[in-house]
Amino acid sequence: MADFRFDIIWDYFPLFMRGTLYTIGISVSGIILGSILGLLIGFGNMSSRWYLRLPMRGYIHFFRGTPLLLQILIVHYGVVYNVLGTTDAIVAAIVALALNAAAYTAEIYRAGIQSIDRGQSEAAKSLGMTHFQMMRYIIVPQAVKRMIPAFGNEFIVLIKDSSLVAVIAAPELMYWSRAASSQYGKIWEPYLTAAVIYLFLTYSLNKLLIYLERKM
Amino acid sequence: MDAIIQVKDLSKSFGPNVVLSDIDIEINRQEVVVVVGPSGSGKSTFLRCLNLLEMPERGEITIDGRPLLDKHTRIEEIRAEVGMVFQHFNLFPHMSVIDNIMLSPMKVRKRSPEQARKKGMELLGKVGLTDKAEAYPSSLSGGQAQRVAIARALAMEPKIMLFDEPTSALDPEMIGEVLAVMKDLAREGMTMVVVTHEMGFAREVGNRIVFMEQGRILEISSPEQLFDHPKHERTKEFLSKIL
Ligand SMILES: Nc1ncnc2c1ncn2[C@@H]1O[C@H](COP(=O)(O)OP(=O)(O)OP(=O)(O)O)[C@@H](O)[C@H]1O
Ligand SMILES: [Mg+2]
Repeated sequence: MADFRFDIIWDYFPLFMRGTLYTIGISVSGIILGSILGLLIGFGNMSSRWYLRLPMRGYIHFFRGTPLLLQILIVHYGVVYNVLGTTDAIVAAIVALALNAAAYTAEIYRAGIQSIDRGQSEAAKSLGMTHFQMMRYIIVPQAVKRMIPAFGNEFIVLIKDSSLVAVIAAPELMYWSRAASSQYGKIWEPYLTAAVIYLFLTYSLNKLLIYLERKM
Repeated sequence: MDAIIQVKDLSKSFGPNVVLSDIDIEINRQEVVVVVGPSGSGKSTFLRCLNLLEMPERGEITIDGRPLLDKHTRIEEIRAEVGMVFQHFNLFPHMSVIDNIMLSPMKVRKRSPEQARKKGMELLGKVGLTDKAEAYPSSLSGGQAQRVAIARALAMEPKIMLFDEPTSALDPEMIGEVLAVMKDLAREGMTMVVVTHEMGFAREVGNRIVFMEQGRILEISSPEQLFDHPKHERTKEFLSKIL
């Protein structure tokens, strides 16, 4: 460790910073789009109509049961290339992470909604509310609070998993760490730097979540 | 006397477990019917069929002339006319007391917020809880919570009120305050179906008592008849245990 070269980190500092911004951007877009899609999939999965429920269940099984790396490669070389006619690593990264997060958030919605006592829906129904009114005014507002910790965890997982998109050359934090490593033939300098930055991101997010939970 | 509730041949099973079989009863306007019977005899299930919280398997239910199980009947419309009070109150914990009461009148009956609040405060006055309007359910005692739940149901201006063991989850010193509200309601002419173990209430307020066992109605009698001269051996046995 005597020859630990801070100058490498210094050289790559702007790229690490840019990479970090991409990591944040890709993860935030992934979790937001994933949560929206997950809402549709989650409610579809809870539907009493089989033609909604079965496809959604299949979706959840597929994305939870196959490696994210595989999903990223398929989305990048298969889906995005065929739709856009050209490859775009950042778009592919966001799409793949969002599709994956949707499967996990769908389960978070389901667990959150099913955790609300049956007495609540019975009271709402007995007052003449429609299914939609019951969800909108009674069930979802209570369930959302319980979902926050699980959403936080999913977001943390997503930040770490976003490092996988380095394989399709999306220019995020992991990508630049690997670039620095191969340019200088060094391991510790770039990867320790990346580790510190990832830790900083996940640790502050965790703190924020604890604060939010306490406030609610 | 015209029947506001008509139940014919009502049956219901959960899997192989027959919970209600061939229930027949007509309940008149302004009548108070008290349902008693041992645990598991189907009292709650019967009550919950009357507002379709449980789906009957067979039979007919007519509420105020409308067939419940007709596919053209909008179930929400029936439920709006039939208030229900639960053993565990089931207040909405994320809303203040007055919001609990105002929500359905506003969303289901499309009342303006002013109208809904005025009516809500009136009802809170009636159950003696005007000062709790802005409180949250978690800060209420059981007796207070149940009175709010009654006010919430009444805010829909129902024609019928169903009570499923409304005092069973309460500490003994709070039972009286809830029963008092229910007695007022009966006196005002509300049609009520009450499942309870409070035999004093049944005797004093009930017009008829229904004794259920194993999913059947064994006996429907006036309180005097049922308590003092029960027809059935099983009724006698049950009463001797509970009184
Ligand atoms: N959702 C359900 N699924 C399966 N079985 C049920 C369900 N609800 C009730 N039962 C069964 O139906 C039977 C009658 O239940 P019900 O709650 O109507 O009785 P009850 O007379 O209200 O009893 P208690 O005095 O204990 O409240 C019981 O054997 C119960 O286990
Ligand atoms: Mg019961």
